[in-house]
Amino acid sequence: MNTFYLNRRSNHFGIIILLLSIGIRFEAFAQDTEELILVSAGTFTMGSDTRAADEKPMHKVYLDAYYISKYEVTNAEYYEFWKQQLETTASGQTLPHTPENFTHLPQIGDWPARAKRFPNHPVVGVSWHDANAYAAWKGMRLPTEAEWEKAARGYTNRTWPWGNALEPYANTAADDDGYENRLAPVGSFPKGKSYYGVMDMAGNVWEWTADWYSDVYYWHTSQAATKRPKRNPTGPDVGSWRVIRGGSWIDTIARCSTTFRFYLYPNLKTSFVGFRLAKTAEKTAK
Amino acid sequence: MRNWLKIIIILWLCSPLLGITDKKSGDHSTYVQHVEQAFILMFQGDNQKAISEFEAALAIEPDHSEVLHYLGMAYAQEEFWNKAVESCQRALTLMPDNIEALYSLGVVYFKLDQWTDAVEVLQQVVELSPKHARGYEMLGKSLVKLRRYAEAVPILLEALALTPQSPGIYYELGMAHLNLKVYPEAIENFKQAIAYGPTGYAEPHHGLGTAYFRLGDREKSRAEMQIYQQLQKGFAEYERLTRLTRAEPNNLEAWTALATLLMSQKNFAKAVPVFQKCIELAPDNANFHHGLSRAFMNLNYPKHAAEAVRKAIHLMPNQAILYNTLGSTYAMQGDSQKAIGAFRKAVELDGEQPYYHLNLSRLYQGIGNQKLAQEHQRVYEYLLSQQKK
Repeated sequence: MNTFYLNRRSNHFGIIILLLSIGIRFEAFAQDTEELILVSAGTFTMGSDTRAADEKPMHKVYLDAYYISKYEVTNAEYYEFWKQQLETTASGQTLPHTPENFTHLPQIGDWPARAKRFPNHPVVGVSWHDANAYAAWKGMRLPTEAEWEKAARGYTNRTWPWGNALEPYANTAADDDGYENRLAPVGSFPKGKSYYGVMDMAGNVWEWTADWYSDVYYWHTSQAATKRPKRNPTGPDVGSWRVIRGGSWIDTIARCSTTFRFYLYPNLKTSFVGFRLAKTAEKTAK
Repeated sequence: MRNWLKIIIILWLCSPLLGITDKKSGDHSTYVQHVEQAFILMFQGDNQKAISEFEAALAIEPDHSEVLHYLGMAYAQEEFWNKAVESCQRALTLMPDNIEALYSLGVVYFKLDQWTDAVEVLQQVVELSPKHARGYEMLGKSLVKLRRYAEAVPILLEALALTPQSPGIYYELGMAHLNLKVYPEAIENFKQAIAYGPTGYAEPHHGLGTAYFRLGDREKSRAEMQIYQQLQKGFAEYERLTRLTRAEPNNLEAWTALATLLMSQKNFAKAVPVFQKCIELAPDNANFHHGLSRAFMNLNYPKHAAEAVRKAIHLMPNQAILYNTLGSTYAMQGDSQKAIGAFRKAVELDGEQPYYHLNLSRLYQGIGNQKLAQEHQRVYEYLLSQQKK
């Protein structure tokens, strides 16, 4: 009798612990994916003299302090935004910022079922306008191209976020990273983190940045830098394409380098482009 | 229970409507699938298959300016110029101020020798985007083709201000100045084109030769023309082999010749995919794996180089030179012990090659073993002197 009582109590205790641990884990993970990393103010080296023509010339850029999200925005996070639109929009109308469906890619999947099946995967199938709207909803913005590169590259001009050696620390088209032809949940490559501790800046999904693309923009910033580094560049005033950075699950590792620049029409929604958020750090009053 | 019945009746009444919605979403899903596949293929450089996918997508949803532009770009890559014009024009009908579609159309007109049309379109590009360097460059080139040299000069100078080290713009500027008979400017432009251009850039030498000739400096003119002719030969051979490999993708001899040529021109980035193609056609040929390894080494990818040369060694385990390459890849990665092991194996297989000993000497010096370093240095010097005799 006594034994039975003890067992039953321990069973209850076990269930409570299990429930608590699930709750704690969920909460901790939710906090993690929304975590912001402070990138301190200062000058860094942008571009490369030895790679693609649009990465030239290598030049100094000064950025004020800013925050950047540690992870890309996940399906679960975007779902909250989408759900709120659903609640505020009359039923039957098309929602303006619904991610594209990829029914032919089961690992990436249908929306909104995808959000529940793969809550920790980066959201894809979002246009630049969707990403921008989500950022505004969160009271933030998309990182500029310079902010993105500094967060990925750090102060030591790393070729990839983790360093200069070719390592399988990112989800690319290569078949040695454990995620062949599919997305990985955010934070799956802890060894691939950048100098600042920002995750997944190489591979998995390209990331929308705030800037228009121009293949010669660096020349302007570098010309301005002859006297002093360009401060907080925000890209050209006009353009057709928005800059995307970081490479994706369909790209070679070379395209996932910290300096590689690519571009896409801002209203296109693909299974290989997502985004992360940024925010200017407020100057503390003295 | 009654409520359930109502719901079932409503659903039944709406079923035709639901069917329409499902078909539409199904069609859209197929459209998305084709666009996705087209992008992936385009990224991988398979433009022909990408074209089919874009066309399939546009057959379902024809009014996407961006997708039409990408289709135009893929056509242009494959040199289907008329198809490219058609796609870009359709894209521009839907989005008339699409700067990049306008630019692409300008480039395609240029390729079709329709320079007046190119000028018209490219002028729109630079009006819409006043810092569009490629737009200014292509506009300047079109004006040069139309012999409107005086108009071309300020446009090309604008392009140069936006892209200060562009060899192509310097060359066009040189041509404009040459035809305007401003020879000192032309000479300066051609020299800059050579300075900033890739190895083997032949045309500016011809321009220089012409400018010197017109200034009466026959000696300098002859020297530049000789350089031009030599470079042209290499380029012509590259063009010939590129055409041949495109026409006969399984012609191993042509691929091998192309790989050899690219290595001799130190164009290692282009040599890598060529060696990979050779390996695809003849996977058991150690020389291709070794060539790939050397190309990777020159591109500073020692791990890839090591992997490739290991495959070569697996196929030909008694070739000294392969161990020498393997040792070099280890040395590049900073692994002196493994590098020494590989170089020693190379010496063991062929002790008569002076450079294997030099490599060993340097490595022993690096790890502080002066005795062995000096010993291999002496052997190196002795073998080198023997070779010279």
